[in-house]
Amino acid sequence: MSYWYYEPSRPREVKNGLKARSKKGDIGTTWWSKKWIGLLESFNWSNRLERGRRYARKGQVINFRLLNGTIRANVQGSAPRPYEVEISIKPIRKKEWEGVINSISSQCLFVAKLLAGEMPEDIESAFSSAKTSLFPSKNEIRSRCSCPDSANPCKHIAAVHYILAEEFDRNPFMMFELRGMGKDGILTYFKGNVESSTQINETNVDSKGQTEEKLPPLENFIDNFWSPLKPLDGMEFSVKPPIVSAAVIKRLGEPPFWRISNTFIKDMEKRYERIGQMAISVALGSDRLGKTRKK
Amino acid sequence: MIILHGLWLNKLKEPKFFIWGESSEENHKSPKHLFQAKQNKLEEILSSILEEFITLGFEKAKTSLLLPTQDKKPIPSSTLLNLNHESSSKKELKEWEIDGLNLDSIHAAMFLISATDSPDLILGEDIKFWQKFSKFGFELLVRQRFFPHLIQKGKAFSAAWKYLIDDADDIRRMNLFSESMPPICRSFKKSDQSKNILSSFLSELTDTLSKKSIAGLEENITGGSIDETWFRSLHSEEDMPVDMKETENLTKTLDQWVSSIYSDEANAFKLCFKLDAPSSNSDIWNLNYLLQATDDPSLMVPLDQVWKEKGKTLKIFNRIFDNPYEKLLIELGKASKLFPIIDRSLRMKMPSRCDLSVQEAYSFLSENSWLLKESGYGVLLPSLNQQSSNIGVKVELKQPKTSVQGNGLGSIVDFGWKVAMGNQELSEEEFMKIASLKTPLVKIRGQWIELKKEEIENTLKLFESFNGRITVRDALRIASGGDGILPLTSLKASSWINELIQGLSKKELLKELTPPSNFNGSLRPYQTKGFSWLYFLRKWGIGACLADDMGLGKTIQFISLLLKNYESSSKKPSLLICPTSIVGNWQKEIDKFSPSLKILVHHGTGRLSGKEFIKKASKYNLVISTYSLIQRDIETLEKVEWDTVCLDEAQNIKNFWTKQSQAARKLKANHKIALTGTPIENRLSELWSIMDFLNPDYLGGFTNFKKNYIAPIELYKDKEKIQKLQKMVHPFILRRLKTDKTIISDLPEKMEIKTYCNLTKEQATLYQAVVNDMIGEIDDSEGIERKGRVLAALTKLKQVCNHPALFLKDKSKIEARSGKLSRLEEMLEEIVEVEDKALIFTQFAEMGKMIKEYLQPKFCQEILFLHGGVPRKKRDEMIQRFQKDKIPQIFVLSLKAGGFGLNLTSANHVFHFDRWWNPAVENQATDRVFRIGQKKNVEVHKFISVGTLEEKIDSLIERKKSLTENIIGTGEAWLTEMNTSELKKIFELRKDAVVE
Repeated sequence: MSYWYYEPSRPREVKNGLKARSKKGDIGTTWWSKKWIGLLESFNWSNRLERGRRYARKGQVINFRLLNGTIRANVQGSAPRPYEVEISIKPIRKKEWEGVINSISSQCLFVAKLLAGEMPEDIESAFSSAKTSLFPSKNEIRSRCSCPDSANPCKHIAAVHYILAEEFDRNPFMMFELRGMGKDGILTYFKGNVESSTQINETNVDSKGQTEEKLPPLENFIDNFWSPLKPLDGMEFSVKPPIVSAAVIKRLGEPPFWRISNTFIKDMEKRYERIGQMAISVALGSDRLGKTRKK
Repeated sequence: MIILHGLWLNKLKEPKFFIWGESSEENHKSPKHLFQAKQNKLEEILSSILEEFITLGFEKAKTSLLLPTQDKKPIPSSTLLNLNHESSSKKELKEWEIDGLNLDSIHAAMFLISATDSPDLILGEDIKFWQKFSKFGFELLVRQRFFPHLIQKGKAFSAAWKYLIDDADDIRRMNLFSESMPPICRSFKKSDQSKNILSSFLSELTDTLSKKSIAGLEENITGGSIDETWFRSLHSEEDMPVDMKETENLTKTLDQWVSSIYSDEANAFKLCFKLDAPSSNSDIWNLNYLLQATDDPSLMVPLDQVWKEKGKTLKIFNRIFDNPYEKLLIELGKASKLFPIIDRSLRMKMPSRCDLSVQEAYSFLSENSWLLKESGYGVLLPSLNQQSSNIGVKVELKQPKTSVQGNGLGSIVDFGWKVAMGNQELSEEEFMKIASLKTPLVKIRGQWIELKKEEIENTLKLFESFNGRITVRDALRIASGGDGILPLTSLKASSWINELIQGLSKKELLKELTPPSNFNGSLRPYQTKGFSWLYFLRKWGIGACLADDMGLGKTIQFISLLLKNYESSSKKPSLLICPTSIVGNWQKEIDKFSPSLKILVHHGTGRLSGKEFIKKASKYNLVISTYSLIQRDIETLEKVEWDTVCLDEAQNIKNFWTKQSQAARKLKANHKIALTGTPIENRLSELWSIMDFLNPDYLGGFTNFKKNYIAPIELYKDKEKIQKLQKMVHPFILRRLKTDKTIISDLPEKMEIKTYCNLTKEQATLYQAVVNDMIGEIDDSEGIERKGRVLAALTKLKQVCNHPALFLKDKSKIEARSGKLSRLEEMLEEIVEVEDKALIFTQFAEMGKMIKEYLQPKFCQEILFLHGGVPRKKRDEMIQRFQKDKIPQIFVLSLKAGGFGLNLTSANHVFHFDRWWNPAVENQATDRVFRIGQKKNVEVHKFISVGTLEEKIDSLIERKKSLTENIIGTGEAWLTEMNTSELKKIFELRKDAVVE
C-alpha cells in the first residue's frame, strides 16, 4: 500500500448504494451483528476497518449477494469502475453440524426460536459444546478485491463486512448459510413430519376472512332498488384510540428489507398515532383538513 | 324537497363519491332524468347545511346510472316525492344521465357523517348506508387497523396504507355491509360486486387520510434506496420512481412480512398465557402457559401436563391436537418475539411458566398481553381494581368559617379531599409513596392495584389548584366524574351544602310542598312533586328545566310555582317567553287556575319600551311575551330585574348562535326556568343551549362540548359519555314520561285538552274583512237565504282560522301564516320524537292536503291522508300500514271520510284541527283511537283560535253542556237560528286574537 494512492482520492458518489443505516457509533443492532463486528475488530485490522465503515455509511457498496456460501459485492471506489469484492467463509463439516444439531435440540429455547424464524442469542454455546464455532476465526475468512490496494482486507472489503453485519440483523440465518447449512436445511431437522405448519402462510391479504359473494344481477332487485338488502340497525361504531398504539407494527416487527434506521417501530408508532388522532378528529367532525383546496 | 343519493364510483380511473338528488320539481332538460335535482340547487342546499371545509371538495360531475324505469320515466325512490302514478307496464333498468357532485374519499366520508335530514333535504337509504360505512372506516383508522404496503396502478407503483380487517367482529361487519348494500349503489354502468366497491372506498379512505395525517414527516428521508423511497412515498400521493423488478421484489417481501398477522385458526387448541398475582408474601408474578381449546376458551390444560404426553397426537376434551410438541414450540418461539421475557423460561426442557418481576408484570399487563391477544394467543389477566379496592377520592365540602361568597351554584365552599382505596382512606404518606412509584402496579394493604399515573397526577394538579375552596358548580362536575381524574368514591357535605347537594342529586326524595292556597284547581301527585322541585331550585337560584312529556301539565306546575313565589315574598315581576301561537293559551290557563295573578301581554305595535315599560311591568306579576319579540326588545327586557324568567317551548333557543337565543341569555333573573316536552337528552346542542341559559358555564363552552359530547354521542353512541352527561345534567332536568308506572296511575285514560292558538296578523285582517262583508249581507236576507249565508260565513271564518291559503285558495306558500299550523307542528315534533302516533282531523279536504304537504318534509316521513276520493283498496292499505309499521306516525283524515268505522288504535293522540260544533261527531272521530285495543292513555287536542268565533262557540257549548244534546242535534244548523246581534257577538274578532 502506498501513501499517495488513497490520500487525495475521493470515492465516486453512488446514487442508490447500500448505506449502513447507523449514522454514528456502532453498526449493527442485534447481538449477532455486533458479535460479527467485534470479531472483525479483534483481528486487528483497525484503521482499514475504520475507512471501510465510512465507505459503508456513505453507501459505496453498490450491491451484494450471497450465492453458494460466497458473498459477491460491487464497491465504488475512486476509479470509474466499481471494484469486485468476494468474501467466503469456510463451511463447517457435515459431521460437526450433526453434533451442533444434537446440542441445539437439547434446549427448548433454541428450537422454539429457530422454528419461529429467530436466531437464539447464545446459539454459539450449542456450537461450542459440539467443539466447533459458528463464527469463523480469522483464517477461516477468505476475501479478495479487484482494487489496486495490496492490503487485505482493503477498505472495500471492510465496507462489505459492515454491510454484512447489518445483513445479519435482518437475516440471522445467513451465518448458517455461510457455514454451509441453509435455513431450510436446519429446520428440517426439527420439523418431523408436519412440514405444513411452519410454512409461511401465503394468504392474500385483501381477501382473507371475507366471504365470496355472488350477487344476482341488478335486474332482480328492481322492486327493492333503494333500500338495504339486510338491516344494519344494530350496528355500532366506536372511535376510541387503541390501548396499545401501532399494535399491528409491533406484531409484525421490522420488515426484512429495512435499512434506513434502527428505530422502525418507534418511527411507525409516531405515524400510527398521528393518523389515529387525525382520524378521531375527522370522525368527530372537528377537523377542517386545512390543507385541502379545491382542485 | 330533494332526496339525496350517493355511490362510490370505484371503476373510474380516479374513484370518486358521486352525490345526486331526486327533486319533487321537474327538471325539463330532456332526455335526462326528469326529476333529478339541478347541480346548482344541490350545491346550494348542501352548502347551507355543511361547513365550508367539506363543500370545498365538491366538483360538478355527470354520470350514467341504471335506474328502475317505467313508461319511459324513472321510477322515484320514494312516495314522498308525490310523483307516483299507478301503472302496470313493465319495469326495467334503463341508463339515465345524471348531474351531480363528485367528492374524494375523505371529503365524502366527512360529508356523509355530518349530513342530516333537514326540511329541504331527505337522506336516501343509500346515503344512510354510506354514512354507516364511513363510520366503520373511521373506526378502523382510529383503532389503527392498517399497515404500510405497496400498490400497483398500471405500470406505476406507490407505497400505500392498507386497511386491516382480521378480527372476528370486523369481519362480521364487513360481510354484513357487503350483503346489505342497497342495489342503487351498484347502478354505475360498469357495475361491480358490492364487496369490491366497499373495499375500494375503504382503501382510498385509509390511504388518503393516513398520508394527509403524516405529510411532512418524511422531510429527513432523502436517500434513494428502495426502502427509503418506499418509506418516503408512504407520506405522499406521488408514485415511487423505482424500477419494476426491485419493486416487485419489495411487494413480495411486504406480502410475506404482513402474512404473519393472519393467525392460523385451524388448530383445535391455542397457547394461552395466564398471569397470576403474587401470593401474599411475595412480589413475584406468575405467568402460566396453558393449552386452550379454540372453540371453547373455558377448556384449558396446563402445559406441564401436555409435555408429559407422548406421541404424535394429543387427545384432550375430545379434541385432537396433532404434533403438539412441535406446534407448542413454534407458538412459544413466536410469542417470545412479542414478549421476550419468556425466553428465560424456555431454557427448561418442558417450559410451563415464567416468573415475572413487578415491572415485567406491568409491562405484560399494559402492552404485551394486548399484542399476544391480537396475534391470536389466549390471555387471562388477574382482576385487579375491583370496585372494593378501587382507588378513588373522598371529597368533603364544608361551610366556610367566613361568610359564603357567591350564591347557588357559584357559592364557594371549603373543600377537603382524601385518597381512598374502596372505603379505606389512605394516609397522605401512603398516597405520596404510591404517587412517586415508578411502576404503577402496587401492593396496598395486601391488594395489588394497577394505578393510572396520569389520573393521579391530574387529580393532584386539579385538587391542589382549588386551594381548599371550590364552587358548588365545580363540586357537582367532579361528582359526575371529571375527565382523566380519579373517580369520586364519596361526597360528604355539611349543613346547607348537604341539603343542596342531596336535593339536587336525589330529587325524588325532596319534601313535597302544599300547593298554594289560591291555586284554582288540583295538582296530581307528580305535579306537586314537580312544583316542589322547582321551588327547591328557586331557593338556590339554580336554573331548572321541566321536561315532562306533553300533556302532563307543565303549565300548571309553573303557575303553581308563580303563585307560591308571590304568596311568599316576591315583589318583582316575572317574564314568560313563549311562541306567538300559544300566548292565548297561556292567558286562558292563567285565567282558569290563578285569576289572582296580574298578567301583562307584551306585544303589538303599541307596546311600551324603556322606562315606561319597566314602570308598567313592575305593577304586574307576570309579563308574557314571545320569542320573536325578545330579540327586538332585548334592550328593554334586559333592563328589568326579573324575579323568574321562564322559556316555554324552550327548544326555540336550540340554535345558540341565533339572535333570539343570544337575547334569551341576556335576561337577568333570580331564577330561570325552561319548559319543554322534547326529550332534550337526545338533542345535545339543544341541551347545551338550554343549560347555558339556565346555568351559564356549567357545561363549559360549546366548541368543547361539541367535541367531547355531541359528536361522540350523536355519531357513535358513546355509552360512557352518555352516562357522564346524564349524571352531569340530572340535577337540573326533571322529565317524567306518560309511560312511567307511577305517572300512568295518576292519569285518566282519556284526556281532552283545549289548545288555544293565536291568529297571525294576516289571518286577523282576513277574518275582519270577512266579518265586515258578511254581517251586512246576513242582515239583509231572510229565511233559507239567510241560513245559507250564515253557514257560508261560518265556513269562511273557519277557513281563515285554519289557514289564509285555505280561504284564498291561491296555492300560496304555507309556512308561518297560521297559528294553528305552527302549534300543530310544535306538538307533533314531541309526539314523533317519543315514537307516538297521531291522527289529525279536519273538515276541509283541502286543509288536509296542505297539512300533509307541509309536514312531510318537516318530519322526513310520509304522512298519510285519507279523504273522500281515496279508493277503498288504498284506504285499507293506509290503515294497515299505519297500524303495523313504525312509520308513518301521522295520519291526516277528513272528518267525513275518516270520522267513523275505522280502527286506528296505534295512535294515542287525536287532533281536531278545526271544530265541528257538535260533540257527538267529534267524539265519534276520537273513538277511532279510544277503543278496544288501545294500550296507551289517549290525548285529545282540540284546537281553538283565541278571540274568534271558535272560542266563543266553544264556550257557548261548555256553558250549556247539559243542554247541548237537545239544542244542537246533529249539525251546525242551530247556529243559523241566532239573531243578527247574537251572531255579531260570536263572529266579532276580539283584540287579543293576534299577538305579533
